Amino acid sequence: MGKNKFLLLFAALAAACLFSLAAGPAGWSNLDVILNLRLPRTLAALAVGAGLGLAGAIFQGVLKNPLSDPYILGTSSGATAAAVFCFLAGVERTSPVFFVAVFAGAFGATFLSYWLARLAGRLSDAALVLAGVAVSAFLSALVMLTLSAARERSFSLFYFVLGGLYSAQPGVLAASSAIIAVCAGIAMARWRALDAMAMGEEKAYHLGAAPGRERVIFFTLACAATSAAVAIGGTIGFVGLMTPHIVRLLTRPSARTLIPASALGGAALLAAADATGRSLFSPSEIPAGVIMALAGAPFFMWLLWRRSGGVDR
Amino acid sequence: MTLLKVSGLSFSYGSGPLIADMSFELKAGDFMCVLGPNGSGKSTLLRLLTGFTKAGGGSVRIGGVEAAQAEAGRLAKLAAYVPSEISTPYDFSVGETVLLGRIARAGLWRNYSAEDMAAAGLAMRETGITALSGRSINTLSSGERQLVFIAQALAQEARLLLLDEPTSHLDLKYKSEIMALLAGLARRGLAVAAVLHEPGLARLGCNKALLLGRGGAYSFGPAAEMLSAARLSAVYGLPENSPLLP
Repeated sequence: MGKNKFLLLFAALAAACLFSLAAGPAGWSNLDVILNLRLPRTLAALAVGAGLGLAGAIFQGVLKNPLSDPYILGTSSGATAAAVFCFLAGVERTSPVFFVAVFAGAFGATFLSYWLARLAGRLSDAALVLAGVAVSAFLSALVMLTLSAARERSFSLFYFVLGGLYSAQPGVLAASSAIIAVCAGIAMARWRALDAMAMGEEKAYHLGAAPGRERVIFFTLACAATSAAVAIGGTIGFVGLMTPHIVRLLTRPSARTLIPASALGGAALLAAADATGRSLFSPSEIPAGVIMALAGAPFFMWLLWRRSGGVDR
Repeated sequence: MTLLKVSGLSFSYGSGPLIADMSFELKAGDFMCVLGPNGSGKSTLLRLLTGFTKAGGGSVRIGGVEAAQAEAGRLAKLAAYVPSEISTPYDFSVGETVLLGRIARAGLWRNYSAEDMAAAGLAMRETGITALSGRSINTLSSGERQLVFIAQALAQEARLLLLDEPTSHLDLKYKSEIMALLAGLARRGLAVAAVLHEPGLARLGCNKALLLGRGGAYSFGPAAEMLSAARLSAVYGLPENSPLLP
């Protein structure tokens, strides 16, 4: 039964890839365009989508909170802010310093949101979302302030902040893909601890998974995957939020299947979103981040409505 | 065989003491109820015993191991704990939930072993929930859910079982069923400690009782002696002839 569901995911992924390779004014006619422009871009969409889907599944499990994802918790904003500062300081996008800085930004922002939510008392779903909103709003303002001040380079950076998959350098793409693959591997190996955390901290402790340690491990994995995705595509929201919810309709909620399925599903979702952005108003392009926000924001509202007693339980 | 040894345990939430210099022991076969008014520290006591909440002083030894210093994985093999209420937004199946009781014993990289499956299967048979195995835990009644988390605790194969209000919100039939189940587990050689809201339930199999009062006062002893109308009326602040007392 599980195998068939995964076949379905692979079929969706293949369809999204084909769509992404075909989308654009030239259609299937120009092999050169397909291989040299669309293929790298499709690969970038797959890597970013997989990283964000993975991070979303990890956050939703370790925080026992179905409303969490790297965008809402401020992880993406932290990574984006760090990336923008690196660009302005002249740090090469392929250098290890860049990746370390972006990871530090992601990790710092995530723990800040978590800590703020904890300060508010019980770690409720809503408190975490509110803390994340505050942290991301502040970081985004910081980024905008910096961009306004550094006028001459701001146009390309503005597109980076908006979130899109334009020119993925092969070096960045390879490094990010490797980071995401390693994170996915470790998260899959620790699926039982993630399931225990999804039962709540108190239960996890008594089942034998030390909550403090597991939180640091899983936050590290999710932040690394997010920062690898941000390094390629900037701030793209809602992939991490939507993917695990869609994937749970197909597979069991256990992290054992949810982790690999969310990575595959996120890759398919973002490849399709990016291709949609290229075809809707062709030849002009809509950034993938905008397409995801158009689809994701209503999805988030539906989730909120359902969690606040709409149909839940 | 002593499975739980508490000596000089104390704890406070800042103001006055909640638990003060408490000492008692549970042996294999003991079934202890913890009784007391709201706010007397019953639930806190259970979390202090497992080290989830750090005690202000004193020592808790579970199966000879100092609980405060033990790693969570080691502790989960010695003591299992059933909270009063567990909710998760995700639709885990009953079978998956019970198998999670095995995570302290299952290593990384491999799937659950045949031994893990057998332990989970036995725990589900003992609690009578085998037929629910494929159901989502979010579709169950509160009584069925309580049984699922007791089964999860049994799958841990720990000799000490701690339960926080295992019978609250349940109808009379489930109350008596769960008390009978726990008494049976104690007869099988476990030590069981359960926080109860109604002293009357303690008559269904408890051989020890721990009564908590305000400000850290407590008394511990054989259930027959502890559950006298005189002691209970003093602890709960009720007249001795109150129909609420057993």
